[in-house]
Amino acid sequence: MNGDILFINLTDGLSWVENRRELVDKCIGGSGLAINLLNELCPDGVDPFAPENPIILASGSFIGLYPACSKTIAMFKSPLTGNLGESHAGGKLGAAIRLAGYEAVVIIGASSKLVWIDIRDNGGVKVNGASSLKKMGGLNTIMALSESSSCGLQSIVAIGPAGENFVYYANVLVDGYNFFGRTGLGAVMGAKNLKAVRITGGGEISVKNLDAYKRVFEKIYEEVVKSGKMRKYHDLGTPQNVLTLNQIKALPTMNFKLGYFDYAEQISGEYFADNLLTRKNTCPLCPIGCKHVVILRSFFADEHEVESIEVGYDYEPIYALGSNLGVGNPMDVLKLRAVCDRYGLDAMMTGTMLAWATEAYEKGLIGLDETMVEPKWGNAEKYIEMIKHIMTMPNEFYLSMAQGKPYKNLGEEFLVAIGGNGLAGYHTGLAFIIGTAIGARHSHLSNAGYSLDQKLLGSTINPVNAVEALLKEETWRCVLECCGVCLFARDVYDKHMVLEALNTIGFNYDGESLEKIGRVAYGLKYKFKFKEGFKFQNLKIPKRIFETATANGIISPEDVKKALTVAEAKIKEIVKEATAQ
Amino acid sequence: MPIKLIVKNQDRCMNCATCVFVCSRELRGVLSVKHSAIRISRSGVGFKVTVCSGCEEPDCASACPYEALKPRSGGGVELLNPEKCEKCENRPCLNACSLKALQWDDERKRPIICIECGVCAKFCPHEVLYYGEDV
Repeated sequence: MNGDILFINLTDGLSWVENRRELVDKCIGGSGLAINLLNELCPDGVDPFAPENPIILASGSFIGLYPACSKTIAMFKSPLTGNLGESHAGGKLGAAIRLAGYEAVVIIGASSKLVWIDIRDNGGVKVNGASSLKKMGGLNTIMALSESSSCGLQSIVAIGPAGENFVYYANVLVDGYNFFGRTGLGAVMGAKNLKAVRITGGGEISVKNLDAYKRVFEKIYEEVVKSGKMRKYHDLGTPQNVLTLNQIKALPTMNFKLGYFDYAEQISGEYFADNLLTRKNTCPLCPIGCKHVVILRSFFADEHEVESIEVGYDYEPIYALGSNLGVGNPMDVLKLRAVCDRYGLDAMMTGTMLAWATEAYEKGLIGLDETMVEPKWGNAEKYIEMIKHIMTMPNEFYLSMAQGKPYKNLGEEFLVAIGGNGLAGYHTGLAFIIGTAIGARHSHLSNAGYSLDQKLLGSTINPVNAVEALLKEETWRCVLECCGVCLFARDVYDKHMVLEALNTIGFNYDGESLEKIGRVAYGLKYKFKFKEGFKFQNLKIPKRIFETATANGIISPEDVKKALTVAEAKIKEIVKEATAQ
Repeated sequence: MPIKLIVKNQDRCMNCATCVFVCSRELRGVLSVKHSAIRISRSGVGFKVTVCSGCEEPDCASACPYEALKPRSGGGVELLNPEKCEKCENRPCLNACSLKALQWDDERKRPIICIECGVCAKFCPHEVLYYGEDV
């Protein structure tokens, strides 16, 4: 951990390195480092698309050292939620940042024309024109910039046309298979006129006590490969959830009107793996291979004229573009996913908006004048046209769609988002809703309320106890995020293992100080949110959530209200503790 | 049969690159790509891992004008006189390997030699790399 942070100002093209070793020692790295830098660098009340909005890409201290640790943390002010923008991506980025000699890369300013940044170790930073990459999809951009003979670990992140067009939930593709998917980093890059960043890590990472490190590495590797703790991600991947959730009536279907989908079998992890899976991809030093990929072929003319592309599939896009849109044909789900990927759109939020639009159309709140094509549950061809319109915004309606808002506030009671972020695919119960509401990035991954709901299936969930459990989980997850641990490996990296791994590479923590690091990171995230105007009293839970029975029955609005009141007080305490640091 | 490192299941590689990093760890005590004797590249719909084939009559050794590289009993090569590599400009050993399996250490100005330790194979989750009898 050398503590070096690379700064790049796109306004004047200058770059410099600041050493923040002290800060890294205090917060480990990853999300702890990113949120400290964001609070330092992001001006109060900044427009997310202003040059002053910083993009922070922070590596974690385990990245490049331990198995199943490759989550790079991006932080910025989000155009979608209006406050904390936070997204985590796997892939080679974090390892490349570290092998280039840095803990984090910070991009500020904005270029007057479209550019891409080339970063190499030993301080080489070059800002290049990207006029020839304009409107190109993320994958083609990565292929164009990729160097095959590089003698280092190279990672490339790129936006598609949706990012260039400032769609509020544009994503960023990382190395072809991973994404900074949520809260609109792609749009913030677009606003900076930044098409891509290529980092070549030609350096090295060293460890003082090599023998001890090798022993811990092997111990973790064995746990990852042999313990069965990561079997789900290795075998079917996250799509294993489809049938599990459908069975307990928690698979959101047709805009959360139902909790089960008649065609769940056809879009299940089992179906994809048995019939379509062609390869698995993985991140550096991770033997799991959670990225499930298929070759999607389509005939585009007579005489078997054929085109083929690789598409990844995960649970969330299957829910968002499958069951929640009534799309039960697996090839259609893949086609929709491929279109989102090509334009650079978060598949989850795209699904949220399409589901809302379909229902609004069905109810006659909007018509063809707005939608231009007729949205219909299960009709992928129409949805493909609509996704293109979200990217190009041909009218006021699609402008509002691209901003993640209900057109003229119509039907906002069934736009299934909390804090601006579209919900993940778990209609499991109270804990999931509370968890998404109080999660610093309003993500299912913040604190896994869906998991708590499933553990407590059939029993009455006490809202106050749920808040307690979710806060405990989220502050612990903040520790994992600081290290760069993939949340899929959370069962391997329990507190004991994290401490052993940390102390082996030169940090000095005990259980208590480690937990405090997580609380401080979480508190600082909320400090940022409050500073940027986030208020619990303004947090709207869409009515739809209370109308459809979950796996644990109907959610009571009073329970949610009670939970949020309790959570607000507790979170403010955590912010106070974090700020006092 | 001598024990050696072989690429057993090329098409199963997922590019976790654990082999690359544990190799640099064995050779130089650090984690890096540049100090590793192993490279992974994209190939068709998957990945290709390139390691030393452990040749019985290695072309790289034959090409060495300074007798710095010598065939090793059991296959592969060893670097006996690395100081001789410092003045070598054309790196004929690298060019002689049709597989391009030999890498160059820019800092120490010498080829990076696979020591046939087998650690890479130990951490290969799909048995792409295999360390054992060459059958």
